[in-house]
Amino acid sequence: MTQTAPRTKLTLRAREAIAGWLFVSPITIGFLIFFVGPLIAVVGYSLTEWNLLTRQSTFVGMDNYVDALSQNPDFWHVLKNSLVFAAGLVPLNMALALTLAIALSRPFRGVVIFRTIFFAPVVTAAVAWAIVWSFLLQGESGAVNQMLAVVGIDGPNWLRHPDWAMFAVIVTRVFKTVGLNMILYIAALQSIPRDYEEAARLEGASGWQVFRLITWPLLAPTTLVIMVITVVGSLKVFDHIYLMTGGGPENGTLVLAFYIYEQAFEFFNVGYAAALAVILFVLIVALTITQVILKQRSQPQ
Amino acid sequence: MTTQHKLIKRLIGSTALAVALTGSAALAEELRFTVWTGSDAHLSMLNGIADGFKETHPDVTVKFETIPFGDYVQKITLQLAGGNPPDLGWLLESSAPTFVDAGVLADVAGTLKGTDGYDFEDLSASAMGLWQDGDAVFGVPFSTSPFIVYYNKSLYDAAGLEHPDTLAAKGEWTWERLKQDAAALKDGDSGVWGFQSVDGQGYGSRVLHTLIPIIRSYGGVAWTDDACGLNSDEAVAAISLYHDMIFKDQSAVPPGEQGDFFTGNAALTVTQLSRVSKLKDAEFEWGIAPLPAGPAATASVIGQAAIVAFAQGKQKDLAADFLAYMTNAENVAVMAAFFPPARQSVLEGDAFLSSNAAVTPEQMKIVADGIANGAVAPGHVAYPQIDSAMRPKFDALWKAEAEVKATLDEVCAAVESHL
Repeated sequence: MTQTAPRTKLTLRAREAIAGWLFVSPITIGFLIFFVGPLIAVVGYSLTEWNLLTRQSTFVGMDNYVDALSQNPDFWHVLKNSLVFAAGLVPLNMALALTLAIALSRPFRGVVIFRTIFFAPVVTAAVAWAIVWSFLLQGESGAVNQMLAVVGIDGPNWLRHPDWAMFAVIVTRVFKTVGLNMILYIAALQSIPRDYEEAARLEGASGWQVFRLITWPLLAPTTLVIMVITVVGSLKVFDHIYLMTGGGPENGTLVLAFYIYEQAFEFFNVGYAAALAVILFVLIVALTITQVILKQRSQPQ
Repeated sequence: MTTQHKLIKRLIGSTALAVALTGSAALAEELRFTVWTGSDAHLSMLNGIADGFKETHPDVTVKFETIPFGDYVQKITLQLAGGNPPDLGWLLESSAPTFVDAGVLADVAGTLKGTDGYDFEDLSASAMGLWQDGDAVFGVPFSTSPFIVYYNKSLYDAAGLEHPDTLAAKGEWTWERLKQDAAALKDGDSGVWGFQSVDGQGYGSRVLHTLIPIIRSYGGVAWTDDACGLNSDEAVAAISLYHDMIFKDQSAVPPGEQGDFFTGNAALTVTQLSRVSKLKDAEFEWGIAPLPAGPAATASVIGQAAIVAFAQGKQKDLAADFLAYMTNAENVAVMAAFFPPARQSVLEGDAFLSSNAAVTPEQMKIVADGIANGAVAPGHVAYPQIDSAMRPKFDALWKAEAEVKATLDEVCAAVESHL
């Protein structure tokens, strides 16, 4: 009797464990097949020189990484472009999202219409968005430049000018994605109890003080989430660049994700492209962890 | 009990029937054939040829699958790499060396030479150059199509200018003349440009197709086996002419602008015969002229595309049979309406000149002459790499203040690293 009791207990535990595993198995199996599997495969590919067209693959060890990091000047140029894109897009996107959210978080007549207008680009097909913008941004006959001409500004050929193309793809990308961040901020703003603000107002706090000392700190968790997804999204940008500039002019908007595509599917260097993809993955993971750590350090204040 | 038995019997029966049906469906063979045209006129012509094949091969269906031109090579490569190759497909001349070198094309020499009445010798040797390696044959060009000038006759008549084909007959049709005409016909108020680059892609994927006709007529070349010719004096003079059209005369559609010849928004363009299908509903009169002459020559440039069978295909013999059928004299004559053939007998016959109802025999003669005198557009084993290295450097050229010679030196440095 004393011997069988612990055995049944163990079985119960095992049963629970089995039940637990069964419950999480759909997502776990999916995760293993569609995420972990390909990830391991990509790391494996990155150690080979594999030509997609001839289907010849030879093991080359770390050569692809050495090539990217120390021998190929293109890589650093492309990485710089990716970081410039992220550095331009993330602050602009977040500032605009927060501003819009503050303006549209309180109910007023027509607020739903405004929210819909700013959210609509998020659900618009990326292809349609990019193509329409490339028409609007044409050199002389583009709508943007014709509007600028009305106020006496001679606009550049946005997508064809090496200095302006990056600016143009960043801004149009911000308009496309800002709506989602705006909604997240609106949700966060609406979950902040009104009492805090009322109490502060009674103490004589100004609007700016309320925002800086109450609203902004309470938004911190949302800000972290938004920052992480926006940074990751900006480093992974591909379709937008592919459709609007094709990486040009003069490789001025050639970002890492597009460069990987070019190496793999235009030059058929799958091994090298896989190594670049691993580098991009490590970069994104490192940046995400850094953001979380920085946020945690600043939390106690 | 009996009803249960009946049910079981019915189940067994229907399963057997289903198996039999799928079994017989697997017996009927299907050939997958990739093309880059989406034009109804082209596809119904191709389907007509496939129907003809059914007379000798009643169980064989040929399915034409359209892949957009810009993605074509990439999609085909992925299908090959993914183990799901098409049986047959079109392939552009610029991809030929890469694909032949990679060994992904089936050698169809045996089938072609062994097919009764095929007459392999009738295929012009110069047209076959890219697709042969010793005795092996990796494709048969279905289109050996010279670049020609399309002009908007309505605009020419309204401006009282002499037609390009008339000028060509007198030997006065030069690139300088084309430049003058384009400048005269440009009308900013009505949104009409003077000249449109090849398919409007002259600043992207078709930059060489746009520039090579000018460069060759000035006596230049794109590249030889070991040297880039794009910064030679001849090429610089040729490209400067085009640069002036864009930025000095502002007559050529500039980068990033839309101005389509086929909708009447450009007076002149250079492209190939197959684009005639775009003019079916044109609301203007149009004409065809040969490429203009330059200081060195009247250079005719040929864009080529071939039908190939893929080495990995599961039905290689059948695919080769269809390739032989599609490129026999009879079917080549049918396709000649849009795709000028590589078969001398068809090219020299009168039927070719009247094969397309929308094109007059005189106009078709211009095409035939272009083939007779033409040389194929530049290609290379490392063409994808050359193209990609070259294009960002060419981008720098499409600015008003660009130094043509200095920029082309940069282009050549990029090209030479891959030769």
